[in-house]
Amino acid sequence: MSKLNYIGKTIPRPDSGDKVAGKALYIQDLSRPGMLYGKIKFSEHAHAKILHIDITKAQKLPGVMAVVTAYNTPEMRFGFLRDNFILKKDKVRQFRDEVAAVAAISQEIAEEAIRLIDVEYEPLPGIFSPLEACQENAILIHELDPQGKPVKDNKVPVLFQHSSGDIEAGKKAAKHIVSGSFSTQWIQQSCMGTAGAIAEFDMNNNLTIWTKTQVPFLAQRDFIGFLPCLGLKDKNVRVIVPTLGGAFGTGLDTHAYEYISILLAYKTGKPVKIVYDRNEEFACLSPRQSSQTKITQGCDENGMLTFREIHVIQDNGAYTSWGATFPSVMLLPATSLYRVPNIKFHADIYYTNNTYCQAMRGYGNPEVNWALETNMDELAEIAGIDPYEFRMINCNKSNETTPMGLKVTTCALDKCMESVATKLDWKHSRNQQGKYRGVGMASLFHVGGGGRIYKSDGTGMFLKLDDFGNVYVSHGGVEMGQGLHSVLKLGVAEALGVKPEKVFINQVDTNTCPWDVGTHASRGSFMAGNVTIKAANDLRNKLFEQAKNLFPSLADKNLKAFCKKNPSYEAPKFDVREAALKGNFDLVEGYLFIKDAPKEPWLLVELGTLLRAIHFREQGTMLSAHAFYDPPNELPDWNKGYGNMSASYAVGAQGAEVEVDTETGEVKILRMVAVHDVGKVLNPQTLKGQMYGALAQGLGYTLYEQILTKEGKILNPDFRDYKIPTVKEMDFPIDLEFVETNDSAGPWGAKGVGESGLCPTAPAISNAIYNAIGVRVRDLPITPEKILAALQEKQKQQSE
Amino acid sequence: MKREISFNVNSQQMKLEVESHLRLIDLIRDQLGLTGTKEGCGEGECGACTVIVDGKAVNACLYPALELEGRTLITIEGLLEEENKPSVIQKAFIDNGAVQCGFCSPGMIMSTKALLDKNNDPSDEEIRIALLGNLCRCTGYVQIVESVKAAASQIRRKS
Amino acid sequence: MKKFEFYKPKSLTEVWELKEMIPNSRYIAGGTDVMVKVKSGLLVPDALISLRDIPELKNITVGENIHIGAGSTISELIDNEQLQTSVPVLIQAAKRIGSLQIRNVATIGGNIGNCSPCADTAPALLVLEARVVVRSGKNIREIPLQNFFTGPGASCLTSQEIVVEIIIDIPNTKTKAISMKKGRVQLDLALASVAVLMETDGNFCKKVRIAAGSVAPVPLRLIEVEKLLENSEITEEKIKEAQQIAMKSVSPISDVRTTADYRCQLVGVYVKKSIQSLIN
Repeated sequence: MSKLNYIGKTIPRPDSGDKVAGKALYIQDLSRPGMLYGKIKFSEHAHAKILHIDITKAQKLPGVMAVVTAYNTPEMRFGFLRDNFILKKDKVRQFRDEVAAVAAISQEIAEEAIRLIDVEYEPLPGIFSPLEACQENAILIHELDPQGKPVKDNKVPVLFQHSSGDIEAGKKAAKHIVSGSFSTQWIQQSCMGTAGAIAEFDMNNNLTIWTKTQVPFLAQRDFIGFLPCLGLKDKNVRVIVPTLGGAFGTGLDTHAYEYISILLAYKTGKPVKIVYDRNEEFACLSPRQSSQTKITQGCDENGMLTFREIHVIQDNGAYTSWGATFPSVMLLPATSLYRVPNIKFHADIYYTNNTYCQAMRGYGNPEVNWALETNMDELAEIAGIDPYEFRMINCNKSNETTPMGLKVTTCALDKCMESVATKLDWKHSRNQQGKYRGVGMASLFHVGGGGRIYKSDGTGMFLKLDDFGNVYVSHGGVEMGQGLHSVLKLGVAEALGVKPEKVFINQVDTNTCPWDVGTHASRGSFMAGNVTIKAANDLRNKLFEQAKNLFPSLADKNLKAFCKKNPSYEAPKFDVREAALKGNFDLVEGYLFIKDAPKEPWLLVELGTLLRAIHFREQGTMLSAHAFYDPPNELPDWNKGYGNMSASYAVGAQGAEVEVDTETGEVKILRMVAVHDVGKVLNPQTLKGQMYGALAQGLGYTLYEQILTKEGKILNPDFRDYKIPTVKEMDFPIDLEFVETNDSAGPWGAKGVGESGLCPTAPAISNAIYNAIGVRVRDLPITPEKILAALQEKQKQQSE
Repeated sequence: MKREISFNVNSQQMKLEVESHLRLIDLIRDQLGLTGTKEGCGEGECGACTVIVDGKAVNACLYPALELEGRTLITIEGLLEEENKPSVIQKAFIDNGAVQCGFCSPGMIMSTKALLDKNNDPSDEEIRIALLGNLCRCTGYVQIVESVKAAASQIRRKS
Repeated sequence: MKKFEFYKPKSLTEVWELKEMIPNSRYIAGGTDVMVKVKSGLLVPDALISLRDIPELKNITVGENIHIGAGSTISELIDNEQLQTSVPVLIQAAKRIGSLQIRNVATIGGNIGNCSPCADTAPALLVLEARVVVRSGKNIREIPLQNFFTGPGASCLTSQEIVVEIIIDIPNTKTKAISMKKGRVQLDLALASVAVLMETDGNFCKKVRIAAGSVAPVPLRLIEVEKLLENSEITEEKIKEAQQIAMKSVSPISDVRTTADYRCQLVGVYVKKSIQSLIN
């Protein structure tokens, strides 16, 4: 591979400067002239009939410009199953149902107006678990489907399943079989910047909406589909993405508050801003799906897995968002983490009156990984095989196709696990007698080359050159903290041949940027890099074509000026014109030159000089390029759970050493190690940042975080009682290592790894706890209370 | 009721009429238009609104605006040096990967400044005590702590 | 949130004048509790009367005994060298309050006056047998801290009274004390907290005071455990018994933070560990 100038180097990311200066503008900081403030009134019941909504007092409050309910607006549905309503009519199905909204001239007046709205309810019995939801005579959360047909049960009509090989034969072939039931909790994404949007119509009734989204183009599609509900036909929507205060999946769907801001903007003719405060963010924004997983695996006498059976049940909540599609990604570890010949996977998802759930980093992978990687340890124990050796026996190999049809190209899982074991001094650390200390490990298998869950997994890019050698990048992927702008800036600089300072990234705006499906599935850098290489190549070709005729005269000028400064200089014999016509140019750090030409300074033409020569002449032109990249992956058949959904796969392993206080149940992390096959390190600093950050989220997932509810009401909607790791929780050594397998599908060989870092954290820690004190907690989070309960149970069993 | 208060903000002496029920964060963001200070929770739990009053790091969301009377306030905007240059701490954050989404960064930097102004050679433990009240969801804190150490080292070198 | 007036009196006399004038007013010192309650609508005052800069509340003197002005911030307490040497257990507990941002404005008077069962300084102050001086106008009274709290969020104060000072008799040099606290993460309210003060002669316990927080409607002394240990030889068995009695002496609740059982468990473990650490 030719020498890289910027890729692979630690170069500070370009967006940091404005962020540390307080100059970056998040949705919280934006305003528009004449802007109104929107506020939503949420339901006070988990399940109830709406008898009456009285908005008269709110309407009379001075400063209130509009009050809307489902009773003074047309019906407006949204959500991929169209089972949600922007404003609720007749019935509320969860505590955070939107029953009314106001727009007022100040935030204070909007809040006061909300308080003046009286809603009369008739409470209905509620359903708060999948178990209750699937009972024979359970009350129906939705009586009718979106087409108006009666519904017979509370199952969400999505199907994700997989069956390969012969499960029964696999069971027969197994010498050892272990089953286990596991659960994961609701998690709040807990972005430091809360959700919000500003909607504004122009006088042609085209909408512009600034919103905290990861899917500007899908959002555009959703909002375009929404405008006819307002009586607007054939109108356009422009989605502009401000600086995002984190996202982690919260921006993958469109939300009621966005539609409500649009509705209020239309009604009032003014821009309307709705921003959630922290309480609303916790109580009224969709969290991460919870899960219950039953897993059974078997292995033969040599430790080779012979079958795997996984059944997942999910509590969907009252309406459907991407949480209901978590099983699509659960299929990845379920079918492809380790080599298993006979697999059965099935997911059942139920409506309940709990809060409905959306995407979050990992998107189902951590949920199943938790069950799978714990079960691997349990199976290893029964088989009498060390858990690390057990994993190595079943390790994925490169250039193999998994039962789901995933074409694994590069795969350094063996190296990753080996490195984790070495770093933990595995054999010795597993036998720390009498110290309540132990080590554990877990691996991961995730998408690394995009993830086709829509018809298109594509992304586009426009590159524009100006007269000064600056290049402007329009790309639809969003920077949400993960470092996409770094990849864009350095990638364009690398691929085009200019200095990073000359690369400018335009704001994500559906008016100006080409389409991108969304920044999810760890696809950001993978897509950006690949489309950059395509677009930059195109632009270079255009530039070199122009240079064929223009380069010689510019080189001449340079030579004249050079000779003036160096009168004794004698130029080497070289026919510039003849060489230029061949078009064999290169552009490096903003200087164009003929390859194989003598290395003379006057044979370097500065890019801006060339561009002005191209532009300022008769029949002049300006250069730009556009490319669209859609990766070589497939949209799986979800009925079969089969299809190569990614162009490459990210693998890795994590290990933990823990110490448990058996009196207080506290788990102290002594150290963690994480070794990931990343294809290629694009920027060591941002990659490390992603891994540390994911690990911290994994830590919270494992030990601290949980949304607690009682009959549908969230009991801890604030940071006081929803605890995410602080700087002190992350006070342990973390040994990160990146293995470069140079995958051919990836830009410069890279794989997408934004989500990998939190997939195996929970079982790595839990397996370490088992090694330390011989107990397992199967329900996340592993709190001190649960550790003590497990220890007490163990003691009871031992004395019996 | 409105009252006029005098205070110093980012080395500028100011007089402002402030409504009695407002918090310092409202004064900073809405009246002074300094949007670098962020409201992350409004309850003193996340530290995104950290500013420095009379040399001490405080949560602007819990500080009554009228209490600023006669006091000295520094916000993130006040750290920028002449000719648009980032301060040592800000440069350390940029150079050491401490910034991802950036929402927590202003608050994190103000807590860092309050620490390093008092103690330019803090131990790892002292850094974590100073930053305990600043939550970050993106970075996992590792590169933030590294940045504080780098800034401290730079400050010691300069002094 | 309803709007309210905000007053910054310069003296205690002014404070009471304002309070008299505006019955539905609340005192505010650091604001870390009051501002949260006002924002959530738990408190709807017509006015807030600030105690933040009242000179009469700011003195910390360590002489024959310790006088801590109620308006002293937690950071001022922690940074006070004399307090560090004379009552290290109070400093140890104070350091665990919230974050630095909170400690820079929160006051010890507020930590007590908020009457939370979780008040971080309470167990340490209880074992130090602190007395609280309260005043309203010309009326002044001194209340042992253990009689101050009457229930969650409630004290024996009248609506006019404010805490002005905390008085602690300096423990003699043979006395040692320790406090412990557990949260879900390092920045948290106490799930349970314990403070133990002991004067020992070898393994012989001449005097012991034990207090716990977050395990009952009020922070409280564990009198039964004190009775067991005082004037006796501290053996491993005694410590085990102390642990058991401690667990029986408290009446925690289960809430969103943790279970009553776990709080009990923590109290027992912390009493045990505290005594063990003070003996060694």
